[in-house]
Amino acid sequence: MADEPTDPLAASKTHRPEGESLNSFQILLLLSVFVIATCGLIYELIAGTLASYLLGDSVTQFSTIIGAYLFAMGIGSWLSKYLDGDLLRWFIRIEILVGIVGGFSAPLLFVLFEYVASFRVVLYGLVGLTGILVGLEIPLLMRILEHQLSFKDLVSRVFTVDYIGALLASVIFPLVLVPQLGLIRTALFFGLLNVLVAAFVLYKFPQTRPYRTAQGMLIGFTILGLLAGFALAERVMTYTESVALQDKVIYSQSTPYQRIVLTSNAREMRLYLNGNLQFSSADEYRYHEALVHPAMQANPRARRVLVLGGGDGLAVRELLKYPALRTIRLVDLDPGMTQLFRQNELLLKLNKRSLLSPKVDVVNADAYTWIRQDTARYDVVVVDFPDPSNYSIGKLYSTAFYRELDRVLAPGGVVVVQSTSPYVARRAFWCIAHTLQAVGLRTFPYHVHVPSFGEWGYVLASRTTERTGWPSPNRLNLPAGLRYVSPLTLRDMTTFAPDMAEVPTEVNRLNNQALVQYFEDEWSAVP
Amino acid sequence: MKPNRRTFLTQTALGVAALATAPLLPGCRTAQAIPGQTLGPNHRAGHWLRGPLPDLTHTAPAETHSAEVVIVGGGIAGLSARRWLAKAGITDVLLLELEEKTGGNSAAGQNSVSAYPWGAHYLPIPDIRNRELLDFLAEAGSITGYNQAGLPLYNEYHLCHDPEERLFINGHWQEGLVPEIGVPTRDRDQIRRFFAEIETLRQAVGTDGRDAFAIPLDHSSADARYRNLDMQSFADYLTQKGFTSPYLRWYLNYCCQDDYGISLEQTSAWAGLHYFAGRKGRAANAPGSAVLTWPEGNAFLADQLRQQAETPTCTNTLAFSLEQTETGVRVLARDLARNRTVAINARTAILATPAFITRRLLGKAAPAAAPQPLTHTPWVVANLTVDALPQGPGVPLCWDNVVYGTDSVGYISANHQHLHDSPQRVITFYKPLTGHTSAQVSEARKRAYGTTREEWITEILAELETAHPSISQHVQEIDIWVWGHGMAAPAVGALWHSNRTVQSQPIGHSIYFAHTDYSGISIFEEAFYSGIRSAQAILANRQSTAL
Repeated sequence: MADEPTDPLAASKTHRPEGESLNSFQILLLLSVFVIATCGLIYELIAGTLASYLLGDSVTQFSTIIGAYLFAMGIGSWLSKYLDGDLLRWFIRIEILVGIVGGFSAPLLFVLFEYVASFRVVLYGLVGLTGILVGLEIPLLMRILEHQLSFKDLVSRVFTVDYIGALLASVIFPLVLVPQLGLIRTALFFGLLNVLVAAFVLYKFPQTRPYRTAQGMLIGFTILGLLAGFALAERVMTYTESVALQDKVIYSQSTPYQRIVLTSNAREMRLYLNGNLQFSSADEYRYHEALVHPAMQANPRARRVLVLGGGDGLAVRELLKYPALRTIRLVDLDPGMTQLFRQNELLLKLNKRSLLSPKVDVVNADAYTWIRQDTARYDVVVVDFPDPSNYSIGKLYSTAFYRELDRVLAPGGVVVVQSTSPYVARRAFWCIAHTLQAVGLRTFPYHVHVPSFGEWGYVLASRTTERTGWPSPNRLNLPAGLRYVSPLTLRDMTTFAPDMAEVPTEVNRLNNQALVQYFEDEWSAVP
Repeated sequence: MKPNRRTFLTQTALGVAALATAPLLPGCRTAQAIPGQTLGPNHRAGHWLRGPLPDLTHTAPAETHSAEVVIVGGGIAGLSARRWLAKAGITDVLLLELEEKTGGNSAAGQNSVSAYPWGAHYLPIPDIRNRELLDFLAEAGSITGYNQAGLPLYNEYHLCHDPEERLFINGHWQEGLVPEIGVPTRDRDQIRRFFAEIETLRQAVGTDGRDAFAIPLDHSSADARYRNLDMQSFADYLTQKGFTSPYLRWYLNYCCQDDYGISLEQTSAWAGLHYFAGRKGRAANAPGSAVLTWPEGNAFLADQLRQQAETPTCTNTLAFSLEQTETGVRVLARDLARNRTVAINARTAILATPAFITRRLLGKAAPAAAPQPLTHTPWVVANLTVDALPQGPGVPLCWDNVVYGTDSVGYISANHQHLHDSPQRVITFYKPLTGHTSAQVSEARKRAYGTTREEWITEILAELETAHPSISQHVQEIDIWVWGHGMAAPAVGALWHSNRTVQSQPIGHSIYFAHTDYSGISIFEEAFYSGIRSAQAILANRQSTAL
């Protein structure tokens, strides 16, 4: 922004011969058309992409957004005839407006998605407004150029540049912009371009001198706003994880360890940790009954239980169905998580206040560090860690860790490990079983169907030297009121269809982390 | 000039814009703003020893001690000798160490995030014929047992966890340090051929029936076919064998810098090949290429060596003179903490000090053989505590992380062996100040001592920024350690065509030597065995005099 006391343009104007001035004037304005055309199509693409992100059904979203946008451009073109007087001034104003509306469209839509009831109204309102403003641009420019060129040349040049700009936009949008900048930054960036066109016209054309200061200030502040938005784009994204979640967010919190988000709809509540589904209240009972009851039936004399992970208290809820249990120790890394499940009324209803039971002792610590120091012995150990999706979680599925588990196991004790999906991640599942075997444990792999997860696997393990094993059907003593685990389902769980049957795998050790590799390969193949 | 309203507003606007965009600009944080300190071996005291001595020899010592054996130097060699003597039942041993802690190049530090190394930080699993080393590792808890085939079972907590190594090349972090991404087929063929050749050399046996390349290296074959490789540079050797690939040569240069602190052109071909072909580790539960490592690096091993003997160690004690007496030796040392001189009369002394210190200590008693000048490359090591490590595409953080084409040898993640994850971590950055001539080396040493902490930080962050954009904003603390004399470098001819073995011959029955300077390769195993050898020589002499 020039703020010199003397106007350099005034000086340069006197040096410029008449004919050349006209030429560069044209070229500059045509260049503006090019930028404007690119920006215009980008806003349209952003709105379409955003709508299909947020609302799903991309064919409908794209088609209605494009339709609405083009129609709004039509309105803009029609309205342009009411703009008279200083056309350059109008043009500058409109460019600034397009920059503001178009530039902030994506961040605004992301933020508003969570907070407004009728999101579609906002979406189409914004699309309409952007369309109208973009629709004004070309007719205005053509009128500005009206007396500079013959009509034939004017139409030919303006539309040529316009369509080339559109081509550029449609190519760089999916290939460069979305992957490199993301939607929010792309929108802000093109908003910036629009404003820069305004600034450029303002300072290049001597006619604008009377209002240069006022418009210049406006442009300055808009650029500032857009730059600030650019810097904060990352925060806006994390603020709006509901992009991926279809339902209403009823609770969200960032702890030092993870981002906890709870959503709900008419049918169910869902818990997401760092964007990964932990459970759906509609079918979590299947997962947690299957996690706890086979182990408890395998060791009916159990008195002391250790739960690793499982800060939601849902596995503990199942454990508390055995009145003979004396103590349940739950070790979960994140105090934010266990606190939430001890305080939130909805969640207390779901876990039946399990974490508030006097039998339950909650320890917030890193499970690995904690178990290496633990000297107690347990009859049942329930391992409910996140899936081995990275190397630090992979350590909790290693021979070294399983040796620690074996050490804390009381005579006749059993361990059960949630073991990801044997259907999706077949090698990962069997790798966990083989790793448990490698430290001298006898394994009993089993699986259940949890609709919101799909086919899910577990491995029950006991010492090879002891008789404890998979619960025998005639000695079952299941608590009343179970909705999934029954003598019959217990029998079926251990049968693996050929598409999930055992495959040879490596053993997961700290120094090879074979499991993380399997897990990554197999889950990344899922679309 | 009185600013009018317009300039005021525009300037304010620009100021706000600058503030709003500041987080976008990398490297805005000034080096002075990052807390931390500069550390290093007690080089002032060391140089005091090299310079004209203050006339302490004539002042009467405040105290006189006596011991059967005095060990000067508490690095790995000294500690290993002390341990061996203790195991043999010799309890009247006194070790003198200049620094506050024993351990030498295996120094370490610690903060609230992690322990971290200041120097040596890993040990490749040894050849199973290195019985003494295996026994030590078993005692240290790094070996938990043996399988039926007699292969050691290593403690999984001490084996380097996966993922081990990655290289930043062509904008991408690839797995492993041998360049792969974007490497043309011709280069790949050369790389394959090189490693095939190494495999042959690893198995090779000389005419005397000994391994061509062994650890400790004095166990290697005397076959001229192999030993003559010491007379040419690794670079020449590679060219001669048709290994011209810049990728392969970069990698091998990196290896020479990493292990020896010198370049491909300076390194003896024998030493360059020994780096690979000397590794013959075997384990029941790990591949032969596995390494043992700890958050504190080899300080773990140094502490284990120290704890496996109970004889006294005097730290902060600078031995400055040694003379032979009728009954053995007399050592004069400066107790730096209490600022007084002490004398130690002993039957024998083990000088577990670098060769240049040893010569200084011995004065006239030094062996007549002209000392071969040994290159000791200066090193700079930085420990950075970061709250995040932003990175480009590819493999996530590994234990060893190297950036292709840079001067440093990369950094290791000190938190790697931790069992829990935390966003805060300590990374240890290593940079050898390689010089091609001895003049360049002393120039580099002057630079090492003359460079300010701020200058190092700027240099190190600039290098890290290439692979970790905006890391500067995530650095919470940087400590710098300058090693003036990093370690002995096996330059051309230094191993088999010098007087290195002559220099380590005991003087009479009273002065023995133990240090990696006498083996020419500064690795834990050499120090460990050189300590044992000196202890064994004392024990043998003791036995023969007793008879």
